[in-house]
Amino acid sequence: MINNNNKLDSIPSQRTASNPQTKKIASALAFASCGLFASNGHATELVKNVDDWKVDAALMYYGEQDRVQAIEAIGKAQKNFGDDSVLDLKLVVDSLTGASASGAVAQSDSQTFTRPSGNGQYKVAAGDTPLDDTFHDTRVQGSANWSQKLNPDWKVSGGVYGSKEFDYMSMGINAGVERGFNKDNTTLFLGTAYSFDVVDPVGGRPVALSSMAIRDNFTSDEAYRTAFDATRQNGSDDKQTVDLMLGITQILNQRWLLQANYGLSSVSGYLTDPYKVLSVVDNNGTSQDIVYENRPDSRLKHSFYVMTKGALDSGVVDFSYRYNTDDWDLTSHTLETHYRYYFSGSFYGQLHLRYYQQSAVNFYQPFLLADTPLPEFASADYRIGDMSAYTIGVKFGHRLSGGHEMTYRLEYYQQDPKNNGTELPGQLQNYDLFPTQKAITAQFSYSF
Amino acid sequence: MRKLFLFLSLLSTGVFAAPSLDHQVFDSQNQSVSLSEFKGKVVYVDFWASWCGPCRKSFPWMNAMQQKYRDQGLAVVAINLDTDKALAEEFLKQMPAQFSVRFNPEGDVARSFDLLGMPSSFVFNRQGQLVKNHVGFYQDNAADYEQELVSLLKE
Amino acid sequence: MRKITLIAVSLIVVGLTGCTNLGVQPWEKGQLARSDMALDSEKLDQALDDHIYFSKEGSSGGRAFAGGGCGCN
Repeated sequence: MINNNNKLDSIPSQRTASNPQTKKIASALAFASCGLFASNGHATELVKNVDDWKVDAALMYYGEQDRVQAIEAIGKAQKNFGDDSVLDLKLVVDSLTGASASGAVAQSDSQTFTRPSGNGQYKVAAGDTPLDDTFHDTRVQGSANWSQKLNPDWKVSGGVYGSKEFDYMSMGINAGVERGFNKDNTTLFLGTAYSFDVVDPVGGRPVALSSMAIRDNFTSDEAYRTAFDATRQNGSDDKQTVDLMLGITQILNQRWLLQANYGLSSVSGYLTDPYKVLSVVDNNGTSQDIVYENRPDSRLKHSFYVMTKGALDSGVVDFSYRYNTDDWDLTSHTLETHYRYYFSGSFYGQLHLRYYQQSAVNFYQPFLLADTPLPEFASADYRIGDMSAYTIGVKFGHRLSGGHEMTYRLEYYQQDPKNNGTELPGQLQNYDLFPTQKAITAQFSYSF
Repeated sequence: MRKLFLFLSLLSTGVFAAPSLDHQVFDSQNQSVSLSEFKGKVVYVDFWASWCGPCRKSFPWMNAMQQKYRDQGLAVVAINLDTDKALAEEFLKQMPAQFSVRFNPEGDVARSFDLLGMPSSFVFNRQGQLVKNHVGFYQDNAADYEQELVSLLKE
Repeated sequence: MRKITLIAVSLIVVGLTGCTNLGVQPWEKGQLARSDMALDSEKLDQALDDHIYFSKEGSSGGRAFAGGGCGCN
C-alpha cells in the first residue's frame, strides 16, 4: 500500500523559488540533512498521485487525573476508484478503565454504594467525591463510506457504521448529496443519518429514581437480592437517532473559505445513564438515600456551526464557532482555533485552542432534597450541568518522503463544572461538589 | 474615424473575449507568442496547473495523442496557469510534456476562454474554429476525446 | 424550534444568493487546493476529539465534511 509511483512529494514554495540564491542554500541544507525529509518550501504544493490507498493511523492515550484512562487506536484507509469514486474505511478500537463520578455528593462520613451489577459494594472515604471505579470497557467500531461524483456539479455519498462494546451496540447508515454552484465556489450539502442503539447495562437498567439497595441494610443475601432486583427492569432498551444536516461551503477569495452548517438531531428511546445516581439529602446536607437518575425519553437538538479557514504563506489557520440548543434547555457555545506554522517545508508546529461553555439541562440537580417530592426527571451528572471547559494543545508534524507524514499531539483539557444556583444545605458547604477535572491526551499518528 | 476606431475595438474585444486562437501567451523562454502559430492544424488547447489532480492524469494521454497524430496534423497546446512558473517547471520535470507548453500566469487568456473548471480543454478544427470543449479530464471518457480528434483530423 | 429552523434556512438562502458575487476563478484555486486546506485534512484528530467531547460534554456534532478543496473535475 505504499505510494511507490508518487514522485511528486516535494513542495517548492513560492518564496524560496522566487529567490534562486535562497533556493540553492535551502536545497543544499535539505541535501545535507540526509534527504530523509522532502526538500524545501510550503505554500502551494504540487498535486499528488491519488490512485493508491491512502492510510492514516493513530494511537491516542487519554488520561484523567485519578479517573478514567483510555487507549484508542484508529485506522483509516481511503482509495479512489477511477475519476469519480472514493471509498473510505475506518476501524477504531478503544479500551477504557478507571473511575468516573457517580453523581452522588461527598459526605462527612464514609459512604457505601452497591456496584451496578449488584454484586459487591464499594466504599468512598469521608470528604471524597463518590466515584464508581468499576468502569472498564472495550469498544470496536467500524465504518465504510462511499462517495460518488455524478457529474461536475453533483456528488452523492452513503455509508454504514457499527460499534460494539460490552453493554452497548450501535448501528447506523448515512447518506448525503452535494451540489456545486458558481464555478464550484459555493457547495451546498444535505445529509441525513439514522442510528439504532441497544443499551444493555451491566446488572440491568435501574428503575427510574428507585433507591439503591445496599447489602449492609439487609439481614440476608436473599433479602438484599430481592430488594436489588426490584430496582431493575428486565432486558435491554434501545435508542434511535435521526440526524439532518444542511451545510454550505463558500470560497471567499484565493486564500479563505467559509463553512456554515445547521444540524437537527432527534433522539428517542433510552437516554438515561444507567450508572448515574443522585444523593437525597436532609436539611443538614446529610445523605438519606441514593436514587438512580432518570432522563426524558426524547431530545431534539439544534446546532449551528460556522468555520473559516485560511491558507497563509507559511501556515494554515481556522476559527470556528458552534451554538447548540435543545429541548432539555441545554445551550452551549464553542469557540475553537487551530494555527499551523511551517518551520520548513517538511516540519510544522500547530497550536489548538478551544473554549466550551454550557448551561445545565432543566432536570439537572446536584442532589435531591428529602423533604420535597421526587421529580419526574433528575440527573446529577455534571456533564449536563453548568460547565465551562477549555483545551490547549500542541502538535508537531513531519512530512516525510513519499508523501508520508508523522505527527505528535499533546493536549490538556480542563472542565470546570459550576453550581447551577442550587443552595447547599449544611455539611455540603464543606465540600467541593463541582470539582475541576483535568485530562491529558497524547497522540501519535502516521499517514502513508 | 472615431466611429471606425470604436467599431474596431468592439470587434477586437469580440474576438478576444471568446475562445479562439487569436491570443498571446508566453513560451518557455518567456517570449510572447500567439496561439495562431498552430492555425491550419487540429489544435487541442488544454488549460492546466501544477496543483490540479485531473491535470496530472491528462498529461500521459496528451503525450500519447501528440505522438500518435502528429503526422496527421494534431497540435496539443497545454497552457499553464500557475502564477509561479517555478511550480510549473517542477511539475514538468516530473511529468515531461512531449507537446507544446505555453504559459499564461496572468490568467487573461483563461478569462477569455471563460473556464468553468480545471483542467479545461478546447478543440479547434483546421479552420481555427472552436468545435468542442470539455471541463475536467475523465479517464473513462478518453476514448471519446480521441474519437473527436480523429474525426476532425479526417476533415 | 420551528422558528429556529426557519431562520436557519432563510439565512442559508440569503447567504447563497449573496455568495454568487464571491469566489475565485477555477485557475485561482492553487492555495485552496493545498492538502492542509481540505476541510477534512485532520480527520483523525477531529474524530478522536469529537469522541472525547461527545462523552464528556452535554452537546455534540455540528461539523460535517463537505465541499472545499481544489474543486477540480
